[in-house]
Amino acid sequence: MTLIELAARNVLRNKVRTLLTVAGVAVAVLTFLLLRTVIYSWTAGVDAAATDRLVTRHKVTFVLELPLRYFEDVRMVPGVRVATFANWFGGKDPQHPNDFFQTLAVEPDTFFDVYSEMKLPATELAAFKQNRQGAVVGDVIAAKLGWKVGDRITLESPIFPTPPDQPWTFMVEGIYEATSKAVDRSTVVFHWKYINDAMPEVRKDEIGWVVSRVDDPSRAAEVASAIDRAFETRDTQTMTQDERAFASSFMASFSAVLSALDIVSVGILLIMLLVLGNTIAMGVRERTNEYGVLRALGFSPSHIAGFIVGESLVVGALGGALGLLISYPIVNRGIGNWLEENMGAMFPYFQVTPLLATIAFALALALGLVAAAVPAWGASRLNVTDALRRVA
Amino acid sequence: MTDSTSDGAHSDADLDPANEPRQSGPVERADGAESIVRIRSLVKTYFRGDEPLKVLDQLDLDIPKGSFEALMGPSGSGKSTLLNLIAGLDRPTSGTVVVDGKQIDRMGESQLARWRAATLGFVFQSFNLLPVLTALENVELPLLLAPLRAAERRKRAETALKIVGLEDRVKHYPRQLSGGQEQRVAIARAIVNDPKIIVADEPTGDLDRQSAADVMTLLEKLNQQLGKTIVMVTHDPAAAERASIIRRLDKGILV
Amino acid sequence: MIPIRYNLRSLATRKTNTAATILGIALVVFVLAASLMLSAGVKKTLTSSGRADVAIVTRKGSDAELSSIVEDPQVSLVKAAPGVKKNGDRPAVIAEVVVVTTMEKLGANGLSNVTVRGVPPDVMTFRRGVELVAGRFAQPGADEAVIGARLRGRFAGLDLGQTFELKKSQPLTVVGVFEDSGSAYESEVWVDFDVVRAAYHRVGAVSAVRAMLESPAAFDAFQATIEQDKRLQLSALRETYFYEKQSEGIALFVGILGSVVAAFFSLGAMIGAAITMYAAVANRQKEIGVLRALGFARRSVLSCFLIESMLIALFGGAIGSVGALSMRFVKFSMMNFATFSEMSFTFQPTWTIVGISLAFALGMGLLGGLLPAVRAARVSPVTAMRGG
Repeated sequence: MTLIELAARNVLRNKVRTLLTVAGVAVAVLTFLLLRTVIYSWTAGVDAAATDRLVTRHKVTFVLELPLRYFEDVRMVPGVRVATFANWFGGKDPQHPNDFFQTLAVEPDTFFDVYSEMKLPATELAAFKQNRQGAVVGDVIAAKLGWKVGDRITLESPIFPTPPDQPWTFMVEGIYEATSKAVDRSTVVFHWKYINDAMPEVRKDEIGWVVSRVDDPSRAAEVASAIDRAFETRDTQTMTQDERAFASSFMASFSAVLSALDIVSVGILLIMLLVLGNTIAMGVRERTNEYGVLRALGFSPSHIAGFIVGESLVVGALGGALGLLISYPIVNRGIGNWLEENMGAMFPYFQVTPLLATIAFALALALGLVAAAVPAWGASRLNVTDALRRVA
Repeated sequence: MTDSTSDGAHSDADLDPANEPRQSGPVERADGAESIVRIRSLVKTYFRGDEPLKVLDQLDLDIPKGSFEALMGPSGSGKSTLLNLIAGLDRPTSGTVVVDGKQIDRMGESQLARWRAATLGFVFQSFNLLPVLTALENVELPLLLAPLRAAERRKRAETALKIVGLEDRVKHYPRQLSGGQEQRVAIARAIVNDPKIIVADEPTGDLDRQSAADVMTLLEKLNQQLGKTIVMVTHDPAAAERASIIRRLDKGILV
Repeated sequence: MIPIRYNLRSLATRKTNTAATILGIALVVFVLAASLMLSAGVKKTLTSSGRADVAIVTRKGSDAELSSIVEDPQVSLVKAAPGVKKNGDRPAVIAEVVVVTTMEKLGANGLSNVTVRGVPPDVMTFRRGVELVAGRFAQPGADEAVIGARLRGRFAGLDLGQTFELKKSQPLTVVGVFEDSGSAYESEVWVDFDVVRAAYHRVGAVSAVRAMLESPAAFDAFQATIEQDKRLQLSALRETYFYEKQSEGIALFVGILGSVVAAFFSLGAMIGAAITMYAAVANRQKEIGVLRALGFARRSVLSCFLIESMLIALFGGAIGSVGALSMRFVKFSMMNFATFSEMSFTFQPTWTIVGISLAFALGMGLLGGLLPAVRAARVSPVTAMRGG
């Protein structure tokens, strides 16, 4: 037997209580991981957004379109390496009215050059460029709705009413995969021209926004203001931001939700502390007499404190480990997969990161330490004769 | 135990009228017998609310090495307090307590703990074995504080259990033992670190007559065969009879 | 029955334990009640914006004014539809342009969308609930704006006397602040109809048309008239229903998020309650034995401990609910998915929510206390005779 073994025996002494406490810590760790992953995943788009990719849109509001010629004008701005444009299509598959995915009408020749983290085989890309009614879909939405290359899909859009003679029909020419965690894997892209050709004269040649990549990422800000300057004296002014700034301005709309989640994730730690602290305090109170005995046998106050802190750390560590273990199937597989499939635009990558897992485990240990602090301090300061008189 | 802690004992020894040469070991008494416990002008006052309660009053006591002493007296006479002071579990209000040449009333908590582990064996009224440990592990407990290898610790614990006659109860947990057996395990625990002095607080208080007699026989054996000094507080006249010296305490004064 | 006083006393003897458990349950109930209140607040804000005797006409398929376009000639069709109330000889119909603009958020890093409504000069006669609380109303045709009270001070340029731009070099001055009993309008900027149309090139079309009906019952006939002409591609909805649909998404989002979090939290708190109750049972083995020996049935012991655990939960639930009530003074703003612009909501306490929260707390106490109570009921009367 060793001192550590002695401490371990005490952990197993009240099995039901230890089990419950470990479960409590595990639930807290799981909840913490879930909440932080929501925050992380939601904001991941911002952090992983490219700073060398510029988005040029209508200065006043995203609702208004830009004239098509702005695309050519942006390309002409020095420092712009490649540019493309897209239009929000707002499409829904009438066969799957409850499945939401992003639909974009894009410039097919340049879109995948600008969004190079959306990868698809060269043959599929070539076929897509050739087919005016071709579409490229994300691997997640393809798997979910059972789409394969060569399939026909139809979409309806409130923004672009279906032409009277035929619905919007597309042929899946390619399936893309993402090489970055910030990329939504459920987007459907197709030729802007196909849509545009069917529009009445007043709505022709309108594009949603222009996206460009710059030669030198460190000069992105200069290029952005150069683009805006180019349109300063035109009818429609533009606002050009790098993708990160664009994404973070979107996030700002949800800042209240994010801070609420932030606060709540601290709240769960508090509950964990209460559960753990309660258990430790109870154990210490019940064993006061034993601590007196140990002191009488020659164990020092720091030994006693060590036993208590050690016990709490063991429970914290067990709970932390269990929490991590169950968070994998629950957060990563269960909730994560569902969110990636159904809310990919908001949560493109909903997985517990190693860093977060480490933090959660460290927090479980730290809380173990904090929970034990007061009982350990109290027990180590106990008068031996008083402690001996105490009956559990 | 380091010698630096014995400075108090030196100064105390200098004040002794017998005036022996300086030494850090047990103090020689005038009659030639060593005294292992030397208490001078011991006062212990408790406060009940604001009211001081003098439990021990200017008490002097010498316990010779190798003796078996019983402290008797009515409840509240201060005998347990005296025992706790000898064991370094409590601190005197004033006066000095020298045990085995060390002045313990000035030691810090951790220092006292180390001293207890090396010098003292403790036997309680209610045995106080740890329920989560087997008999052997309970006996081994004090050795965890000594720099010993696991095998050596085990050997010593087994020896101690053999001395108390429980070598066949090694793997038993306290709840599987009778009261008398529990107390014998507790005694094995008290001697496993080869202490200079064994302190027992009502060792027979929770036992039936037969078990009490067995325990007393065991303590006697420890005193006579192994030469352990034993200081025992007891109510039980039968137990006190086994001791070589009986001291009576009343209202904080030895009578 | 074992008297409840017995439970109260036993709770009081283990103060710290009990307090920690109560606090845990209070936190859970707080989260649950607050999110339910927010969800109710969202519903209230959006539904109080609508009236049952007002119909809103939008383009078919648009579930928000923002994505709807109604051509000018169609507006007169609405005016001529049956059931529309008349103010004198003029039909009580209002056609507005709704757009969003990007504005700099104060106190948070980033931009956010704000709804701008182009309103005709007689908007106040149509929306009688709207009240100016500061400044004056914008003059027709002027580069002036009035803002909803909930926007005030949240965005750069949106406060009395400040200016913002919808179009380059055409600053609009905020001249007034209005309230509308907490409706969605309070998160909007109102600018003169023609100014918005010009700035957003929306000449010849509006976003939506609202018609005041003679009575709520007149809606069906009105709707039939508007929707019968398929070429118009228009749809008419009762305003209350229109806003209810808008509130669904966001209320659901808040409600689900809050419930999921509360569910996880409650697991933790229930475990805490179970630990406390197990300790209570363990500490009172002998006591329970005595009660049993005195003739109390197992059922009495079981319910005694369940009651104790539910008492803890009830205290926690009460504290959590009261805490959540204090959220009434907090404003919570987030994106309304239907309009893509930020709206500010308040936490709306209702008796139903208080009831749900307390019931939830009791449920936690019941579940958390069940196993310990069963263990207590299994204590044998013989225990009373044993020591310790």
